[in-house]
Amino acid sequence: MIQKKVCLLGTSGVGKTSLVAKFVHSMFSDKYLTTVGVKIEKKTLAVEGTEVMLVIWDLAGDDDFQRLQTSYLRGTSGYLLVADGTRRVTLDQALELQKRVAENLGGAPFILALNKADLAPRWEVDEARISALVSENFSVTKTSAKEGAGVEEAFAQLARRMVSPA
Amino acid sequence: MPEPAAAAQSVLAELGYVLFLPEETGGLRLSGKPPGWLAPLWTHLPNDGLLSVAEASPFLENFLIDAAECWKKGGAARAQSGPWVEQDRHGAEVQLEATAMTIEGEPILLLERLGAAFEAKKSVLQRARETVIAHQRLNSEIQKKEILLHCVADEMTAALANVITSLRLIELEDNGPRTKLLLGLATQATHEQQTLIHRILGVFEEELRNAYDASADTQAGTKWNGILQRALDFARPLFDEKRVRLEAPAPLASEVRIPITPTHFERVLTNLLENALERSPADGAVVVRANEEPESLLVTVEDEGQMLAPKVCENLFARWEPARAAASPAAALRLHFCRIVVENCGGEIGCSPLSAGGNRFWVRLTKSNRAG
Repeated sequence: MIQKKVCLLGTSGVGKTSLVAKFVHSMFSDKYLTTVGVKIEKKTLAVEGTEVMLVIWDLAGDDDFQRLQTSYLRGTSGYLLVADGTRRVTLDQALELQKRVAENLGGAPFILALNKADLAPRWEVDEARISALVSENFSVTKTSAKEGAGVEEAFAQLARRMVSPA
Repeated sequence: MPEPAAAAQSVLAELGYVLFLPEETGGLRLSGKPPGWLAPLWTHLPNDGLLSVAEASPFLENFLIDAAECWKKGGAARAQSGPWVEQDRHGAEVQLEATAMTIEGEPILLLERLGAAFEAKKSVLQRARETVIAHQRLNSEIQKKEILLHCVADEMTAALANVITSLRLIELEDNGPRTKLLLGLATQATHEQQTLIHRILGVFEEELRNAYDASADTQAGTKWNGILQRALDFARPLFDEKRVRLEAPAPLASEVRIPITPTHFERVLTNLLENALERSPADGAVVVRANEEPESLLVTVEDEGQMLAPKVCENLFARWEPARAAASPAAALRLHFCRIVVENCGGEIGCSPLSAGGNRFWVRLTKSNRAG
């Protein structure tokens, strides 16, 4: 079995912890509980016939109150960049953060997860913006930690890209 | 009575601290008796007290790299891990923080079980983040309602303009005294309605000014290059669709900061680009330029659309009014928004026709004093 470190990055309240809880424990809670510091979870996936243990670092949201400690990124094989589709500003913040961490993570693969797909009528991120990101070679996926849509796929896609880089 | 060293360790354990001494093998050896909460947490901790960090905690394993650096420096150097959460074998979450330091030449690692102070900090952060999210949602709602209200006012005013025109046409006919009286009353009522709509728009403009007032987060300044890039990314698919070429400036060599909220300025740029796109003929071009001046940043957006008369340029950013009913209400609202945001940040906005054809829309913002 191979082991890969995955980090969840994004500003606060976008649903990073909820995505991990859904993926690892198939659980979801509507109540927003802020993450302070780091929580680590593990889950094993089969990727192209190989057992891969994902060591998932759920990091506190990067915002004006707490900045991301770059030492937490050491040894990261890939990351899930999370934004809340109902708050356009969180996408801007995620893209800023991605530029910052790229200095530490080099070309590590990442998936941009636009979370809260279950709240589609309230979305502020439109298809034109998503198309523009895709044309810049971002791997964008819509997820719903509440309903589970796209969650397994996002982690599986990231695992594939970590195991077999293009 | 216990020995002083044993007593000190008991006190530490009681306060939620555990002392580890690093081994050359990379492990951590527990000093003294482990407190009750430690055993269910790390079942890997054998009787001899030597903790295999790699097995026990990936977080701690990562932190030991920073700790080793700290121990190498010695003296008063310290390294703190920041808080993290471990789950014990009963499923309970335990919040921890580690500190590496050197005491009397000996490297030590102090592990703290975070207690009430941490919970209080967490509670404050929870409330602060909830407030930020609520604030963002409120801002978004204000923006949507602003547009909705202007659309409603626009519809009402257009209908009212039709009524006024009809009344004027009727006035030209040969009317009896009673009809003239009724026409007078109707005309007066329509004028009152117009005044009311203007008042509503006036009140709303004031609210808009407050909502988009330069806020604390603009004090450090907004980085120009990133904002421009996002506005261009947003607009480019629209330009491609209409086959209008969008020529963007190269990033400025130095990172210019401007005192404006990023989302607001992004929207100003997006509005100016959409405005230029609307004016441009298919296969035309829109050119964006950015010039860093000693004290300010000048941004221009040039289109190849029909030249605007200087008089039109003067009123283009003013609030939508019936007198300009022929203009697109959406475009008027977009430009009016630009003016409010830019002027609230102490900037200037304007438009002038180009001698070779087309128009130049420009924004000048004073640069932030603070870098960072």
